[in-house]
Amino acid sequence: MTTAVGSFFLKHRRLLVIAVPMVWLLIFFLAPFLVVFKISFSEAAMARPPYLPLTSWEDGRLLITLNLGNYQFLLEDPLYLLSLISSVQIAAVSTIFALLIGYPMAWYIARSPSKRRNILLMLVILPFWTSFLLRVYAWIGILRSTGVINNTLLALGIIDEPLVMLQTNFAVYIGIVYTYLPFMILPLYANLSRLDPALLEAAADLGAKPATTFLTVILPMSLPGIIAGSMLVFIPAIGEFVIPALLGGPDTLMIGKILWTEFFNNRDWPVASAVAMVLLAIIVLPLVRFRRARG
Amino acid sequence: MNERQSPSDMPWRNGSEPFVRIVDVSRSYGPVVAVNNVSLDIYKGELFCLLGSSGCGKTTLLRMLAGLETVSSGRIEIDGQDMAGISPWDRPTNIMFQSYALFPHMNVERNIAYGLYRDGVPRTEVTDRVADMIKLVQLSGLERRKPDQLSGGQRQRVALARSLIKRPKLLLLDEPLAALDKKLREETQFELVNIQEKLGVTFVVVTHDQEEAMTLATRIGVMRNGVIEQIAEPREIYEYPLNRFVADFIGSVNMFEGVVSETDPDRTLIRCEDADMTITVSHGVSCSPNQRLWFALRPEKPEISRHRPDGVDNVVEGVVEEIAYRGNLSIFRVRLKTGKQIDLTRTNQERSAEEPITWDDPVFVSWDAASGVVLTS
Repeated sequence: MTTAVGSFFLKHRRLLVIAVPMVWLLIFFLAPFLVVFKISFSEAAMARPPYLPLTSWEDGRLLITLNLGNYQFLLEDPLYLLSLISSVQIAAVSTIFALLIGYPMAWYIARSPSKRRNILLMLVILPFWTSFLLRVYAWIGILRSTGVINNTLLALGIIDEPLVMLQTNFAVYIGIVYTYLPFMILPLYANLSRLDPALLEAAADLGAKPATTFLTVILPMSLPGIIAGSMLVFIPAIGEFVIPALLGGPDTLMIGKILWTEFFNNRDWPVASAVAMVLLAIIVLPLVRFRRARG
Repeated sequence: MNERQSPSDMPWRNGSEPFVRIVDVSRSYGPVVAVNNVSLDIYKGELFCLLGSSGCGKTTLLRMLAGLETVSSGRIEIDGQDMAGISPWDRPTNIMFQSYALFPHMNVERNIAYGLYRDGVPRTEVTDRVADMIKLVQLSGLERRKPDQLSGGQRQRVALARSLIKRPKLLLLDEPLAALDKKLREETQFELVNIQEKLGVTFVVVTHDQEEAMTLATRIGVMRNGVIEQIAEPREIYEYPLNRFVADFIGSVNMFEGVVSETDPDRTLIRCEDADMTITVSHGVSCSPNQRLWFALRPEKPEISRHRPDGVDNVVEGVVEEIAYRGNLSIFRVRLKTGKQIDLTRTNQERSAEEPITWDDPVFVSWDAASGVVLTS
């Protein structure tokens, strides 16, 4: 008996190792996904849970009701399309700024002597030790009319009346770039630190000035890092809820906020689920295509 | 050994203007002095080898020529132009790195063409020159491969082609053959010399491999601790080393320590205690009386025999302790009565000897008075 079990484990040990994360993903990722997928086809109701079941049993017949109205509704009301476009735009602009700020930082860290490198990496990761919510709240104190920036500028006499920064898209950009910058820096750092310095010397020796070396050697070789970092910023930024809710104004349209409103304010779970499914499709489909294209 | 040039085209012998002048050049990293006050002239068309063990400063010197390392003090001139303050991308030099440093995201063709595009050479000309270069280094058919799809030898040739394509005045090669296996290395050595002769570019090669230096070089500079110990042609450096370090570093050598007991212009006697013999040397030695000095004898110079030879200046008795059969030659290790060992080699000209000398045979080791070198340091 014990030997039989032993040989089973020996035979399938690879499978067993993979099984743990597989089961984890199945329970905590795929199952909720299927639930949301199911809800997106049901009808809202004043009930608990606030939607009607898809299947019913009547006179010995199993009835499956698929309500496509939620998706139709998303197309009919321009709010959803507009907020999707706005989300993509805010996420894209934030990603570009995170890249522009993160790239030089990652380069500097990668080129630092190893002792200082570890300290700098620690500093990049350090904000994660504080609650994300607290850090976003802190920005309110910095950006508001009586905040640190405005007080300083007023005291220095550079401005006469406080700048309106809080509750604008500007504040949302700052919040997203600030929050997700480490996700840009870390993959870029991982990529750039592996870049052989001899390649830069070879380029210089062959006649490339530093700017040319950057464009012809460093940039193309760090493309995987740029893509990885951009995805890690862009994807969570699209669905971001907390940052636009705290820092953004009433005009800030983001799909995450819409999702929240549908779920908790309107208690329209089916429409909210449909929004979630569309959002997922927008993120996942290009990713799949991208992976295919890279072969 | 390399004797492809007649004395008339050995510019270092006839006082020509040097092409590269390195004058009192030093490079220090904090308290560490990597290159210490080196002066060196290199002539046009030369294949100069900087030879030394790792950490001797040879690579630092090479990188200073390329402009990849700054000069702490001193001056470097190439073709009459002072290189101070000139960036690597503006220098008339190209370097081939030990790691080859090929651009992994570019194929063979684009790697080789890289330098030409940086100079703004028109596309059609680039295509032609790259095609010629690919033919020269025998890489035809591999134009579209990426570096990770090439063998070590092929990568080495791409690196060579890439550094040659701009027709630099001076080509710097950092351990160009170190990453190749022995057989390929030997073939490539001759290829490198052929290419150098065909193009007439001046080469400076850094290597730790003394055989490689002997095969390639017109002249060798032996470096130790940031200092050049000797600059000479391969034959001279082998037969007439200036000191014990050079004698020992280039090839193998038997070293006898002793004191001069008698010297006149064409004969010197050295009393050597560790071999319990007096060594006769066929020339005078200028030294103070009782000065300690060394007699260096290459292993291929002495003879070995069972019977005491007649009319030879230096004879010593011993017992064969070890024989290493190497195919083309055999190495004998003979232990003298004093315990000192002498290594000597014999070429195996005949396939079978009547009565070969073997282990534990009592033998006589003998050599001519002109066979060795006297070293005072």
